[in-house]
Amino acid sequence: MKLFERPLQRLPGKHSIFWKLACLLIAFCLLMIWLSWSWGRYMEEQNAFLADKSREILRGYAAGAELAFSTQGRAGVDAWLQLMATRESTWVGVIGNDLQSLSSAPLNDKESQRLTFLRGLDWPVSRHVKGLPWMKVPFPVDPSVGSLVIELPQRFMPGQYQLFWRVVTNGMIPGLFTLLLCIGLYRLLIMPLNQLREQANAWRADQLNTRLSHDATSRQDELGELGRAFDQMSERLQGTVVVQRQLLRDMSHELRTPLSRLRVACDSERDLTQLRERLGREIDAMQRLVDDSLQLAWLDTERAPLPVENIQVQALWDMLSENACFESDWPATRLPCVVGADCWVRGNLNALAQALENILRNAIRHSPVGGIVWLDGRRDGEYWHLWLEDQGGGIDEGDLERIFAPFTRLEGSRPGDGGFGLGLSIARNAVQRQGGSLWAENAGQGLRVHLRLPARAD
Amino acid sequence: MNPAAVSLPNILTIEDDPVLGAYVHEHLGRCGFQVTWCQNGQQGLQLARSQVFDVVLMDILLPGLDGLSILTHLRQHHATPVILMSALGAEADRINGFRLGADDYLPKPFSMIELRVRIEAILRRVALDRRPLPTQQAMRDDARTLRFDDELCDVVYQAQWAGLTRSEYRLLETLHRNGEEVLSKAFLYQHVLQRGYAPHDRSLDMHISQMRRKLKAIGYSEREVRTVWGKGYVLSGHDEAV
Repeated sequence: MKLFERPLQRLPGKHSIFWKLACLLIAFCLLMIWLSWSWGRYMEEQNAFLADKSREILRGYAAGAELAFSTQGRAGVDAWLQLMATRESTWVGVIGNDLQSLSSAPLNDKESQRLTFLRGLDWPVSRHVKGLPWMKVPFPVDPSVGSLVIELPQRFMPGQYQLFWRVVTNGMIPGLFTLLLCIGLYRLLIMPLNQLREQANAWRADQLNTRLSHDATSRQDELGELGRAFDQMSERLQGTVVVQRQLLRDMSHELRTPLSRLRVACDSERDLTQLRERLGREIDAMQRLVDDSLQLAWLDTERAPLPVENIQVQALWDMLSENACFESDWPATRLPCVVGADCWVRGNLNALAQALENILRNAIRHSPVGGIVWLDGRRDGEYWHLWLEDQGGGIDEGDLERIFAPFTRLEGSRPGDGGFGLGLSIARNAVQRQGGSLWAENAGQGLRVHLRLPARAD
Repeated sequence: MNPAAVSLPNILTIEDDPVLGAYVHEHLGRCGFQVTWCQNGQQGLQLARSQVFDVVLMDILLPGLDGLSILTHLRQHHATPVILMSALGAEADRINGFRLGADDYLPKPFSMIELRVRIEAILRRVALDRRPLPTQQAMRDDARTLRFDDELCDVVYQAQWAGLTRSEYRLLETLHRNGEEVLSKAFLYQHVLQRGYAPHDRSLDMHISQMRRKLKAIGYSEREVRTVWGKGYVLSGHDEAV
C-alpha cells in the first residue's frame, strides 16, 4: 500500500498488480456504461413500433372500412362501425381526405382535435404519451379516398415486455458481468492467498517440506513476491528445524559423554589430587563443548548484522599464529603468511578471528610432524580470496562439505584427533554472517580451506 | 601493585545462588577484600545507595529486582564500578549491560582467579583515574630512543613516526609507563579501551599485533610487547625474551 502513502514519490512497478486491477476495473466500468446505454436505446427503439401482426389486423380493418364505403357508402360505413364497436372497445372512425367523417355521424370537436395528430402504422409509438395514440390507416386499395382512424387498442400497444427487458438489460446482464468480474478478481487475488493459507496450515501440521506451486511463485506481481518470500521463509524454517533437531540429538550424545566420564572418575579415582586434576580436565572440555555449542546456536539464531571494520590480514594472522604457536608448541616459521601487507578485508574482527582460528587449529591438529600451514590469497574484484593450506593429506571428496556440519568428526584418514567437530561449523557461520563464504578442497599435500571476504573499500 | 594498600577494598556482592554466593564471599574475603553479600535485588540496591563500595558485583537474574534494573537505578546518582555476572551468554546481554553502564561483564561459569583479575583491574583503573598524571619529564626520562608525543598520539624513533592509532598509542603508553610490569588484559581493556573484557573480544590482541608491526617497521627493537600467557602483556627488553 505504499502507493497511497507516497503517491507522488513512487509509482508501482511495471509488474505490479495495481496495473492489472486498474485496467480491469476501468475496462469493466466503460463496458457497463456502453452496454446499458446502447442496449437501452436499442430496446427502446425495438419496443416503439407496432408488431407486424397488429399492423396486419389494422390494415385488415382499413380494408374492411374501404370495402364498406366503396360498396354501400355512408350507410355501409355506419354498419361497419357498429360491427367494429362490438370488436374493439376504443374509438374507431372512418375519415375522408378532407378530414371529415365518412360515416353519417359527424365528428365532434374533441374528435376533430384528435384528428390533427394522427400516427401512421410505421411510426414509432412513444410510451411517454398519455393515453392511447390515434392511428391513421389509409385505405389499402385507394388511399386517396380516405382512411381508417382508430384509437390504438391497448392490446396492440408495443412494449408489452418492456419491464422484462428493462430488468434484463439494466439488472441481470450487469449483474452477470459483475459476477464474472468477481470471479476474475477472486482468481487473481484470493486464490494465491488460499494457497498461502494451505501452506501455513501444513506448517501447523508439521509438514515443513510443502512448498507453493510453481504458478504461485513465478508470478511477476506483488503476490508472486509474497509467494516467493513465503517459500524462502519455509526454506529457512525447515533448515532451522533440521539443524535444531540434529543439534539436539548430537548435543545429548556429546553432553552425556563427559558426564559419564566424570561419574567414572568420581567413582573410581581414590587419590584426591589426581581426582582434582581429572575433574579440572573434564570440566574444561565440557565448558568448551557447551560454549561452542551455544555459540553455534546463537550464530544460527542471531540475524542482526555484525559491526564491521577494516582488518589487515597480516596483523590478524600474526595474532592468531602467536596464539597457535603457544597452544601447539610450533615455531612461528611453520605458520607463514604469504599474503602481502596490502591485504585488507572488511569484516567483524571477533567473528573473523574466531573463524580463522578454528580453521587454523583444525589444520594444525591434522598436520604431520614438521608440516607447515600457510595462508595465501589474491585479490578478486571486490573480494579477497584467501586460502589456508595444510600438509595433512586431505580428506575424501565426499566429506569436503560434510566437515562443515556440526559434530562431524572424520575418522582415520588424517592424523590427529580431539575437538567436538564444531570448529568448522562455527567458522562457516561466522564467515557467512559477515558476507563471506567458506569452502574446502583437496590440494596437493593436504586440505585447502578457501575464504572469500569483502575487500576494504578503497 | 595492590591498590588495597591503604584500606581493604569494599565489595558488595548481589548473588541469589547460595552456593556460588557463599563461595564468592568466602574466596574474596580470603583475597583481602571486605565483602558484603546480599541475596535480594531490592536490598542490594538499597545497600549500594546507602553505603560506599569500591566495586559492586552482581548477577543479572535476581529475585526482587533484576541486575539490569538495579544498574539503571544505581547509575542515576552513583558511579560505583559494577561487574555483572551472568549465565546468559548472548552477546546482546553483554552489550546491554555495557550500555546501561556496567564496567565489566563476567560470563558464568568463571574461575575465582578470573574474578579476582577483573576486580583488581577495575580497582586499579579507578585508582589511576584518581591519581594525577606523572609529570611529563619523569615519563620521558627513560625514553631516549622511543619518544612519545601526546599531542600527535604517536611515537617517533630515529626521526621515523610509527603512525600509531589513538588506541595503539594509549596502549603503548600505558605499557611503557608501567615498565616491566605485566598488565592484565582485563586492566588494559578497562584502562585503554574503556570497556570490559570478553574471551571472544580480540580488539586488544589486534591492537597489539598492529603495534608490533608498526614498531618493527620503524626499526625499533630495543624493547618489544610480549605476551605473557594467561596473564597479559608487558613491554620489556629483548634480552629477557623467552
